[in-house]
Amino acid sequence: MATTTASLSISSSDLLPGSSLNINASSTLMKTGLTTGMELMEMGNAEIAKDYEGQLFADGPATDDGAYFIYICNNSTDDTYYIEYRLHETAIGRLYAGDWMFVPYNASDGDAEVEVKALTGINKIEYAMFKTAWTLPAAES
Amino acid sequence: MATINASISVSSDILSYPVRINKTMTMKKAGSCHGLDETTGLRTKKFGAVTTAAVIVEHDELTDDKAHKVYIRNASSDKAGFFYVAYNASAAAADTAETIGKLYGGDWMLMPYDGNVNITVASNGATEQTLEYMVFADGIVAAAG
Repeated sequence: MATTTASLSISSSDLLPGSSLNINASSTLMKTGLTTGMELMEMGNAEIAKDYEGQLFADGPATDDGAYFIYICNNSTDDTYYIEYRLHETAIGRLYAGDWMFVPYNASDGDAEVEVKALTGINKIEYAMFKTAWTLPAAES
Repeated sequence: MATINASISVSSDILSYPVRINKTMTMKKAGSCHGLDETTGLRTKKFGAVTTAAVIVEHDELTDDKAHKVYIRNASSDKAGFFYVAYNASAAAADTAETIGKLYGGDWMLMPYDGNVNITVASNGATEQTLEYMVFADGIVAAAG
């Protein structure tokens, strides 16, 4: 069984007047069913130019309502560059240059692919998905 | 202007070579070099051992189309319990296209959020669970008097 650990630290000394903020969290990523750690993953990088809109992860190979985690980072350096993180054409949030995100994904209903759309610039992104299961397409005869 | 830093560290032995992700970001306003300087505060909420759906982030408190960040953690230790988290106008979160995913006991997430639609959760009802969450805001809309 593989072991994948994801840790987070958020800190600020001046967001809250009179007190510092320190949030720390850590989790071992488990498969759906929760008895074993995730054993599948994929990772990569891409350049996404303005007006591009497409799938980063299809949901067809994923198990519906499964346990997955997605990491995306926009490694661009121009503060005006950003991509949208989308689920089935619904924009959730903007990932600006230097931003990263780490979210669960459950391929909720067979129609919930993970998409990205670039609104400005040429965005250099890196990404990874940690998976419970992944079904490869059948070979064509 | 405030400075808020968020760091992620992922380590794994899934592959035949070690997987390491280490990244730090300073949370900034949309299209700007200036840091986020507002928050709705760190909150915790207990959900009983029944299925409960609720709005945890109301979008009308936040400026639309901005670079907000949302942190959510299932603070429970029991891996049998989970929350659905959704980007949804209503509280239901289980099987819509806007369901983001499931946070089991101990799991956390940090995501960008445009502030256009509510963020909702639905507990699975198997056990009492505690949710911890915080919005780092790129603009808070003051409530009308």
